[in-house]
Amino acid sequence: MRDGGRRARILAAVIQQDTAAGAGELIAGICRFAVDEMALSGCALVLMSGAESAGMLAGAGRHASTVTGLQMDLGEGPCLQAYASGVPVLLPDLAAETANRWPAFAAAALAAGVHAEFSLPLTAGRGGIGTFDLCRDRPGMLSDEHLADALIAADIARDAVLYQQCVPGGRSLAELLDTGDTDRIVVHQATGMIAAQLNETTSNALARLRAAAFASGRPMYDIAQDVVERRVRFDE
Amino acid sequence: MNGGCDSMSETGGGTAAQPGDFRQADRGTREAALARVFVRLADTLASDFDIVDFLHGLSADAVEVLGADAAGVMLADARGGLRLIASSDERTRLLELFELQGAEGPCLDAFSTGRPLQANAENSSIRWPVFAQRSSDSGFQMMCAVPLRVRTNVIGAMNLFRATDEPFTDDEMDIAQAMAEMAAIGLIQEKALREQSLLTEQLQAALNSRVIIEQAKGMLAEYLKVTMDDAFKLLRAYARDHNRKLSDVARDVADRKVTSTALIT
Repeated sequence: MRDGGRRARILAAVIQQDTAAGAGELIAGICRFAVDEMALSGCALVLMSGAESAGMLAGAGRHASTVTGLQMDLGEGPCLQAYASGVPVLLPDLAAETANRWPAFAAAALAAGVHAEFSLPLTAGRGGIGTFDLCRDRPGMLSDEHLADALIAADIARDAVLYQQCVPGGRSLAELLDTGDTDRIVVHQATGMIAAQLNETTSNALARLRAAAFASGRPMYDIAQDVVERRVRFDE
Repeated sequence: MNGGCDSMSETGGGTAAQPGDFRQADRGTREAALARVFVRLADTLASDFDIVDFLHGLSADAVEVLGADAAGVMLADARGGLRLIASSDERTRLLELFELQGAEGPCLDAFSTGRPLQANAENSSIRWPVFAQRSSDSGFQMMCAVPLRVRTNVIGAMNLFRATDEPFTDDEMDIAQAMAEMAAIGLIQEKALREQSLLTEQLQAALNSRVIIEQAKGMLAEYLKVTMDDAFKLLRAYARDHNRKLSDVARDVADRKVTSTALIT
């Protein structure tokens, strides 16, 4: 059982890092393990229920939230594709032709210093719950060994998330998400305010916010912050 | 699989016929039928899977492939008791229900021992006197049962009946057991899949409601010129007063089915 051995080795490495491991700590440990073991510049576990509702549950490395944040801002990218298709998306070089499927994402990621991105879907039952994302500040494919480790690490993280759902009295995923992901909350609140200002649906409001960020070259979070603090209105 | 029948087959009704008994033509037809059966049994991952249809299919396939006249499938319920889930015809359904009611019969033994067995009219009347009388009245002389089992996990059993006294051969018992095991693997996988799908749905609902609550707070903050904190308090108070879930109220606010003014009146 080669993969059984792999799973045991990864779990041992992760649990060594943090002995009092709940699901949240375990998943954070898995991200740290991936960053160290595979020389990544960022790794994140993102839960998703469509492009608009995603949240980073845990991350490690300086680019941990870069890729997730960009995709939510732009509404496109490899994680959304991996989530929707259930198939890993491997982009060893974001400057290459293959990344042209997501031109805005690739350009923004390169500008932020991310050169390679690997997004593994977390599949459960007949659907998916999110992605396990790995990125590097230099181009190049993951080695076979590292890819195999990453797939098993993604499975462990997925199991921990599902297990957390079943534990009575455990911290809910919403709590775990809220501690790691306050930026997105502001974006959702701003979306509601813009919808009210324009008398529009929330999805159209989000599209307007996204477009404003893209047009101005500012992060979506910054504009959302201005909206929530009533410095910027969309109906003027 | 290697025969695997318990003492019942050795005490008389046993497997007199030899594995070589199949004629070539029969063997070809049977292999084709078996291949079809295994493909179908492997199909529990389909999204429209239905457990009752699946087990009715299993009992019909078993009758066809194994030259039996009737079959029935029982599954263990949450309390560990057996329930009849599928049978090939009405006569067998009554017989199997009778087996459960009387708490004796081949299915129950295959389930409790986890081993295949068969019996003719004579030794079934020794082992299960009440049930044997009833099955004889139903026109059956030969019967066998195989557990639905994955390793040590027994989740049910399948009964096969013949109107003649021709015993089930070793090959036939092996095939019956293989079909039952395939079905058991499929059912266990399907259960795991269903549980995961349920968790996935719950998780997605949690993610969606988290977003929608923040959006509704934003809308109220704008319409009513209140802070986010106060917007949340209004949402929560409305949900409590109307005995509704917070996320449902938030969705109605976002969809404008509940107006912002309704929350302050």
